[in-house]
Amino acid sequence: MADILDEIRSTLANLGGSQHLQDLVNTALSNNIGVSDVVEKGLRTGLQEVGAKYEAGEYFLAELLFAASMLDEVMQNIKPRLDAQSIHGRGTILLGTVRGDMHDIGKNIFRMMADAAGFGVQDLNVDVDPGLFVQESKQTKPEILGLSCLLTTALPEIKVVIDMLNEAGIRHKLRVLIGGNAVTKEFARQVGADAAALDAVEGVDFCRGVVK
Amino acid sequence: MTPRERMKNAVDFRAVDAIPWAENFYVETISRFVAQGLPAHKIAVVDWKMDSGILLNWPVFTGLDANSYFGCINFFGCMIVVDLAPIPRFKQRKIGEDSKYQQFVMESGARSRIVKKGSRETTWYAMPQFYSFPVSDKKSWERYKQRLDPEDPRRYPKDWDPDGYSEVLDQYDAGPTLLAMTGFYGFGAELMGIPGFNLAFYKDPELIKDMIAHWEYFTIESVREAVEALKDRIDMIFWWEDLAERHGPNISPKLYREFLLPHYKRVTEFLNKNKIHRIMMDSDGNTKPILDLVVEAGISGHWPLEVNSDMDVRTLCKQYGKKLFLVGNLDKREIAKGGEAMRNEIDSKMSIMKETGGYVAGLDHLVHVEFTFETFKEYADYLKTKLPLE
Repeated sequence: MADILDEIRSTLANLGGSQHLQDLVNTALSNNIGVSDVVEKGLRTGLQEVGAKYEAGEYFLAELLFAASMLDEVMQNIKPRLDAQSIHGRGTILLGTVRGDMHDIGKNIFRMMADAAGFGVQDLNVDVDPGLFVQESKQTKPEILGLSCLLTTALPEIKVVIDMLNEAGIRHKLRVLIGGNAVTKEFARQVGADAAALDAVEGVDFCRGVVK
Repeated sequence: MTPRERMKNAVDFRAVDAIPWAENFYVETISRFVAQGLPAHKIAVVDWKMDSGILLNWPVFTGLDANSYFGCINFFGCMIVVDLAPIPRFKQRKIGEDSKYQQFVMESGARSRIVKKGSRETTWYAMPQFYSFPVSDKKSWERYKQRLDPEDPRRYPKDWDPDGYSEVLDQYDAGPTLLAMTGFYGFGAELMGIPGFNLAFYKDPELIKDMIAHWEYFTIESVREAVEALKDRIDMIFWWEDLAERHGPNISPKLYREFLLPHYKRVTEFLNKNKIHRIMMDSDGNTKPILDLVVEAGISGHWPLEVNSDMDVRTLCKQYGKKLFLVGNLDKREIAKGGEAMRNEIDSKMSIMKETGGYVAGLDHLVHVEFTFETFKEYADYLKTKLPLE
C-alpha cells in the first residue's frame, strides 16, 4: 500500500502528467486502498512537496499551475467516491479581491492550491464590497478570510474590511489572511490582519496551520 | 551632452557628464498633478496635423509632456512605430453591462470586465478583469495567426519613408529613439492569459512551440525594413515582457531555456547584425532566477527593477558588470514618502551607480498616483542635484 501511495505522491510532486497520475490512483483504488488514504497520503502529500519545491525556487508558476491542474483532474474523477469530510475536511476559506481592485490571477492560484489542499473555498471574485465580506462571513462562518490586493491604491480597503468585522463583532471568530503584490508583513501588522502571504504556497501553509 | 547622447553613453558604460534620469507617468498621475498645481499650459503638446482626414493643417492636442517640465527623459518620446499588434484589430465594443460593470471585447480579442465609468472614483490602472482570451488551443491559434502577418503593409505608417524618417529622427535629442516590441512570454500571456499560457507549456508543448516560432518569424520580418534601413539610428529596443511576479519568474529557467532562449537569440542576433546592441527588457517582478539566461539571450538592459520584488541595482551591477545596463530601482514607496526617506533611498544607490556606470536613474515603476505634485517635485529637485558627475 505504501508503495503505490508513494508513487502517487512522487508522480504529482515530479509533474508526471495527469493520465499517469489517474492510472496510479485507479490502481490504488482497485487494490482496495481507501480513497481517503489516496487523497491524504498520496495526492495532498505530493501537493505539499510541490509547494516546498516552489518555495525553494525549484518550481515556478507554470509548475504550480500544472500540479494543481493534475490534482484537480484526478479529484474530479474520484469525487463521487469521496465523502464531504475527505473533500473539504480542512475547513472553509472565504476569499476575494478587495474593492477597487480587479486583479485575480494570484487569488485564483491561491484558490486552486487551497482547494486542492482540502479546504472549502468560497470565492467572492474581485472588487468585493467590504459589506459583502462581512455578510458572507456571518453566513458561511469561515475559519479564514482571505483578502487579496495587488494595487497599492486599494490597500486601505483591507483596513476597512477588518474594521467592519470588528464592528460586527465577528473579527475574533476568524483569521484574516492578506495576500497580493501590494501587501507586506509590516502592513498586516499595521492593519490588524493575522498574516500576510507573499505567495499562494505561503498562504496555504498558513491556512493549514490555522486548522491543524 | 544632449539627453540622447547621455543616455546612449550611460547604457554603453561610456563616460557621461551626468547620470541620465528617465520616468514614465500614468496619465492619471499627471492629471492629479495638474489639479495640484502643475501648470497645464506648460505641458500640453499641440501639433499641426491633418488628423481630421481633410486637406487642412490644424492644431491637434497630442498629449501631456510632464517629462520636460521635471527635466527627465521620456523613454517613449521618440518611437519608430511598426505595428506589431494583430491586423485587423478586433473591434473594441461593449458586449454587456450591469449596474456596476461593463463588458468589452478588447482590441486583442480578449474579453474584459471594467468598472463603469463615473459609477465611483477609480484609477485607469485599476485595469480591467480579463475573463477570456482569444487563444486556447491549436484551432483558435491558427485562426489568430492570420492576424499576425508580417507582410501586411499596414504595419508601417502611411508616411513611411526611411530617408525622411532618418532626417526627422536626427532632429530629436531629448532622449533615445526607441523601437518597441513584445517579447515571447508577454505575447503568449496576452493571447492566452497568464494561467493558460503557463499551463500550455506542460499540457500542449507543441502549441507553445508553434506560437513561439511564429512570433520569432513575425517579429523579425515585421521590423526588418525599419531595422535594416535605420540601423543604429534606432538607439534602443524596448522589449516588453512582464514575465515575473514578486516571488520570481512565472516561467522556470528550464522552460525558458528549452522553449524561449533560441528564439530570443535569433532576434537579438538579427538586431546585432544591424548594429543595434541596446536591447532592454521591461519586466516587473523578481527576474533574478532567469537573469543569466536573459543575458545569454542577448538582452543588454533591464527596467524597472522593483525593490518590492527584491531587485537591487547594487548587487546586480556586481553580478553582471557591463553585460547588463540597469534602469530604475528607486523604491517608489520610499520616494513617495518624501523627506528623509526619499533622500536616503536616492543616496543609498546613486553614489554606487555613479562609480559603476551603466545606470539610468528612475523609479522602480511608472509614477503612481500615490505621488503628489509636491512630493514628486521634491524628489525631482533632490535627484537632479545628485546626477552630475564631478
